[in-house]
This record gives sequence, C-alpha cells and structure tokens, in this order.
Amino acid sequence: MGNHVLVSGLSFGRTVIGIATRPYETYRRIVSRGTMWELAYVGVLVSLYCYISRIRVAPVVLTYLVTAGLFWCIGSFAGAKGRLTGFFIAWGYTLVPTLVWFSTTSLLYVLIPPPRSTRLEGFLFSILYLLFSATLLFWKVILSYLALRFGLRLDLGKISLVSLIVLPILFLYSIALYRMGIFRIPFL
Amino acid sequence: MTDALYQKFVKRWEEVMDLPPQTVGPLTPYYKKLVARLKVMPWPVLVIGSVVLVVGLYLLLGSAITILVSVLQRGF
Repeated sequence: MGNHVLVSGLSFGRTVIGIATRPYETYRRIVSRGTMWELAYVGVLVSLYCYISRIRVAPVVLTYLVTAGLFWCIGSFAGAKGRLTGFFIAWGYTLVPTLVWFSTTSLLYVLIPPPRSTRLEGFLFSILYLLFSATLLFWKVILSYLALRFGLRLDLGKISLVSLIVLPILFLYSIALYRMGIFRIPFL
Repeated sequence: MTDALYQKFVKRWEEVMDLPPQTVGPLTPYYKKLVARLKVMPWPVLVIGSVVLVVGLYLLLGSAITILVSVLQRGF
C-alpha cells in the first residue's frame, strides 16, 4: 500500500513534467500504464485548491465525471475502442492546466483584485493575463485531444465529431451551473 | 543486435504502431509539420498562438479587453 502510494506519487510527478514537455509520448504512457492511484493525486490537488478557495469539491468532481462520461459515451457511438480506466486517468490529467489557471487566477484576485483599469498598468496586466490564459487553454486543448486520441483510440475526424456533439452539451451544463450559482467559469 | 535490445525495439515499435498514423488528406504534410512541433516542448508554438489570439482580441475589442480580464478574474 505504502509502496503503491510512493511509486504513484513519483509517477504522478514525472507525468506532470511529461505532459508539459513531451505531451504526446507521456499521454501514450498514461493510457497504457497509468494507475488509478495517479488520479488520486490529481484529486488531492483539486481538493486542496477547493479547500483554500472555499469552493465545494462535489461540483468539481461531478463536472469531471460528466465531461469524461460524455466523451466516453458519445465516443463509444463513434467507434471508440479504448480502456475505460485509461481514458479516465488521461482525462484526469487534463485538469492540470485547469488547476494551474484557477490557482493563478485566485492568487491574482487576492494580490491584484479586479476591476482592471484602462490605464497603462491595467492594460499591460490584461495583455499578460490573456496571454497566460490563452497559452494554458491551448495546452488544455492539446491534452484533451491526446486523451481522446489515445484513451478512446479515435482519429482526428471522429474526435472533431464527438467534440461537436459534447461541447454544446457542456455549454448548457455550464449555464446550468452558473444559474445555480455554483461556477461562473466551469472547472472543466 | 542483442535479444534484449531487439525485444525492447519490438515492444516500442508495437507501441508506436498501435494507432494508425493520422492523415488529413492533402493537408497531411502541413499537419505533420505542425504536430511535430507540438509533440516535444510545445510551449513556443502555444505562446505564438496565444500572441496571435490576444492581438486579434485587441484589434476586435480594443481597450475593452480590460473588461474581459475583469470578468475572467472574477470567474472562479
């Protein structure tokens, strides 16, 4: 048990570095050799963030399950042949950029609270913040693509098709969460 | 080639060839060129993409991007 935790911890650390520096190769490894223990580490980090930011964990977990579940179900109709656990672990790692973005945004909210002004300082901050956000968004898109590619074993056409079906559903789901006062920006 | 090395090579080969390579018709060479840059250390490409996006947003919204940032900052 202790051994599993330690080995998974090392593997998790190595994988987080890997998804930043060699995402393609790392995702292949996550899907074929990843363990549920690694997903637990993602869960711990997300829970820690939720605790510090005073956000409820349940909607975050639900959002992860809904998103991964939707991709799995719709992907299955499109001919996905992957392994369920492999895909869920791979999708779990796509939460790393989300977590980085939410953590940084929360920290900046405390250090430099909004609203931003149109003065030079506010404008420069806005540009840098948008650059940072867009870079993380693109990273997230790549990781999501790789999770679908290796986890569901779909090609680009089918991934696009599945995304075209799933994204509007997630959009409606996000609106529902917003209306219920749970998230302004969903923790996808 | 020793047996162990050969076995390692075969294992790696099977792992790589597990999924058929992605093709996108006549755009395949361009796709391969772009993807090659994203497979290892994708950050330069990601940052360039972000710069293009942010410049586009600035041209579209002007100084109103500060409102967008304020909304995003309150988003969590």
